[in-house]
Amino acid sequence: MKLTTYAQNLYDLNVLKDQGYNEVILEAKSLSRFGKLSREDFILLSNRSKELGLRVLMEWDILMTEDVFGSKIKEVQELLPYADALRVQDTGALNWGITYSGKPLQFIAENGNHNLKALQGWVDLANGKMERIILSIELSKNTIEEYAKKLTVPCELLGLGRILLFYTPRPLLSALMPEKIAQNQELAATGESEESPHKGFPIVENQHGTFMFHIKEFCLVEFARDLEKSGLAFFRIDQRWEKPSRLVEISQLTKEFQSEAFEKLKHDYSQDLMRGFYLVNKTDILFPKLKNSRLQKREGHYVGEVLESEKGSHLAIMVKNPKGLKVTDILKILHPKGEVFETKIYSLKNVALEDVNEVPAGELAIIQFVGGVWVKSQVFYHHEIS
Amino acid sequence: MKVPIKIPEVLAPAGSLDKLKVAVLYGANAVYVGGQKFGLRTAAENFTQDELREGMSFAHERSAKVYVVLNSFLHDKDLAELPDFVRFLDEIGTDAVIVSDLGVVQAVREHSSIQIHISTQASALNIQSALLWKKAGASRIVLGREVSVKEAGKIRREADIEIEMFIHGSMCMAYSGHCVISNFTQGRDSNRGGCAHSCRFEYSLEGLDTQEKKKAYFMSSKDLEGLRILPAFIEEGIDSLKIEGRMKSHLYAGTMSKVYSEALKFYAGHGHFLSDDLLKWEEELGKVSHRAYTQASLVEKAGAESIFNERENSSEDEWQMVGPVIDASPKAGIVIEVRNAFNQGDELEILPFSGDVIKVFAHEIMDLTMKAVVRTRPSTLVRIPYVEGVQSMYLVRQRSKV
Repeated sequence: MKLTTYAQNLYDLNVLKDQGYNEVILEAKSLSRFGKLSREDFILLSNRSKELGLRVLMEWDILMTEDVFGSKIKEVQELLPYADALRVQDTGALNWGITYSGKPLQFIAENGNHNLKALQGWVDLANGKMERIILSIELSKNTIEEYAKKLTVPCELLGLGRILLFYTPRPLLSALMPEKIAQNQELAATGESEESPHKGFPIVENQHGTFMFHIKEFCLVEFARDLEKSGLAFFRIDQRWEKPSRLVEISQLTKEFQSEAFEKLKHDYSQDLMRGFYLVNKTDILFPKLKNSRLQKREGHYVGEVLESEKGSHLAIMVKNPKGLKVTDILKILHPKGEVFETKIYSLKNVALEDVNEVPAGELAIIQFVGGVWVKSQVFYHHEIS
Repeated sequence: MKVPIKIPEVLAPAGSLDKLKVAVLYGANAVYVGGQKFGLRTAAENFTQDELREGMSFAHERSAKVYVVLNSFLHDKDLAELPDFVRFLDEIGTDAVIVSDLGVVQAVREHSSIQIHISTQASALNIQSALLWKKAGASRIVLGREVSVKEAGKIRREADIEIEMFIHGSMCMAYSGHCVISNFTQGRDSNRGGCAHSCRFEYSLEGLDTQEKKKAYFMSSKDLEGLRILPAFIEEGIDSLKIEGRMKSHLYAGTMSKVYSEALKFYAGHGHFLSDDLLKWEEELGKVSHRAYTQASLVEKAGAESIFNERENSSEDEWQMVGPVIDASPKAGIVIEVRNAFNQGDELEILPFSGDVIKVFAHEIMDLTMKAVVRTRPSTLVRIPYVEGVQSMYLVRQRSKV
C-alpha cells in the first residue's frame, strides 16, 4: 500500500521525497476546492516533483455548472501537460477526461457509490482510462476489502484528514459580514447548533463556495496494516489544515504502527479523531422508526381508513379497496397505537345516510361505532388477515 | 408557417395515492412517487405495490405519466433487493424511474426496459456530465438546482437529451447528494432517505469579523419559485418542470399542479404571459405554506439573498387547508374532512381542478348525522350546503385565524 498526499509548497515536496512517497496531489486554486496554487506555482511544483521522482496527480475536484465548466477548460488544458494523471469528482470532468485529456484518470467516488456495481460501472465507462477509484469513507472494512479485491483498478481511501460534510457553491459566510468583502477572499469560522450535540464545525468559504467539516477528523492510521492486507492500494494523508511537520510523524506511523506514538499523535492533534463507519455502517438502522408502521397499509386485504369516530354513534370509513364494503363483512381495525379491534358490520350507510348493502371503493361507509377506534385507524378484511 | 410552441410537462410530487390523484386532477402532466424502499423520503407514506398499480392506472387513464423514485445511493445489500421491484415496475407500466446511482442504472437496464431519468441527487450540472449519463443509459437528466435555465438549454441542445429542472419548492443548500451532515452527526444516511434537515438549524458562528458569536440560519435556503421565468424554460426547450415536495400536503400538491399547468396552458394559447392571471397565480402560490421565495440560480448564481435566515414557523402561514371534499352531491351536501377547524360563518375557498376559486360562507354546518355544528373540530367530517359544480377531491382552504 502506497501513501499519497497533497503538497502546497516546495518544502512539502522535500518532505514527501524524504518519507518515500512516489506521488503527490497538486491543486490549482481555480480548479480544486481547497487549492492554493496559482498557475505558475502549479507548474513550479510539478517540475520540482518530477525532479524528485514524484508522480504528479492533478486534482480538479470542484463541481461545475456548464458556464463554470466552460471557463475552466483552458486552464485544465494548460496545466494537464504538467500532470501524470487527472483526479476528478464531477461526472462531467470525468467524461471530459475520458474524451479529451489523454491522461490516466482517478475518479473521486467519495459521495455515494456504495455498491460494487456502480464503482465498476465508472471504471467500465472510462474505456480503459481509469487508473484508480477513490472510495467513500462511509464504507466499512469488509466492504473495502471486497472492493479492493474485485474492482479491476486499484483503490484509494482517506487515511487521515478532515471529513467534508457539506458543499455548496453559495457564499454563506460573507453573506453574514456587515462589510462587503473582496470577492474570492477566503473566510473561516466555526459553527455550533443547540439542535446538535456537536460543537465547533469548521466552516470555510472560498471562491468555489462554502464547505463545512466534521468537528473530528477521520483517522484509520491504526488500521493501515489491515487495509494493506485487504488489498487497498493507496492510503491518503490529508494534512492541508495541519502543521506541515506532522506529515513526517503520520507517514512513519502508517508505515510502522506504534501504539504509544499513535496515542501521542491523538493527544497533540488539533482535532479529535474518529474512525467513522470503518467498523460498521448502520446509518439505515433508524429508518423503520421514522414512521409509524401501524399506519402503513398492507397489500390485498386493506379496506381503508377511519376518517371519523363519533363515540356512541358511528365510524366513517373511506373505502379504498375495489371490493368495497358489505353488510356482514367482518373487519379488523388497527389502531395507530397498535391495538386491534374486530367487528362485524350490522349497520351500513352511505354518505347520504341511506341504509345500503354495499359501499363501493372511493366512497364513505358509515358503520356502527366500535369503542376504542380512533381516526387514522386502518381497516382490513378480517378473513384475509393472518 | 407558425411553429407550435413546445410546452414542458408539469411534474408534481405525490407522497401518497391520494396526493397522486389530487396532483393529476389539478392538472399535473406527470407525477413522481416512491415505493416502500429505494427512495429518499423514508418518512413519507409512500406507495404499496397495490397502490402503485392503482396510481399508474389512474394517471394513465388521464394521460398523465408516473415516475418512480429509486434515487437512494444504494449499498450492495439494498441493491440485491432491487431487481424484483424493478421487474414489478416494468410490468405495471411505469413511465420512468428516477435514479442517482450508477449501480441502480445498471440494475434497471438489466431487469427492465423502463426509461431512466438521472436524479438531481447525482448533481449532473454540465454537458459532459449529461453525455456520460446518456452513455450509461439515461434518457433524461434532472439537473442540479445550481444550473441556470440558459445553461440547461445549452445542455439540452449539445447533449441531445431530455432535461428536467426544478421550478418550485424547498431546496437543499448543498449540492444535492453532497451533504452527509446527517450521516456523521445523527447516524442517518441522508442519501438513503434519512436526512435530518440539519441545514435548517440555527448555528452560532465564531471567527467572523465580530468578537461575538453570530447566530444565523446560514445554511437554510429560501424556497424556489420560478413562475415568472416560465417563458425562459419554454424558450430553452426544457422538457419537464419539477415541483419539489413529496412530504408536503394535498393542498400543496393540488395548488402547485393547478397554478403551473394553468400558466403553461395560457402560454400555449397566447404565446405570452402578459396577463392579470400572472398576479392571480402568484397570489395562489402565496397561499400555500412556504419559506420566502427565491429564483435561486435559475437566472443568476444564487447569492446572499437566497438564504432563509429565519426560524421555520408554519403557524405564521396566512392561509391554511380546511380539508379535502370527501363527497359532494345535492343529497349529501359538501362533505369535508376537517384537518383545520373552521366556524359557522367563516368564508371558505374551494379550489376547483381548473378555473376560478369558489368562495362560500359556511352559514350552515352539520355533522355527518345532520346535527347542526357551530365550531368544527379537526379529524371530523362535516357537511355544508351543496354548491353546483363542487366535486369530490376538491380542496378547501381559508385564511388563517392567527
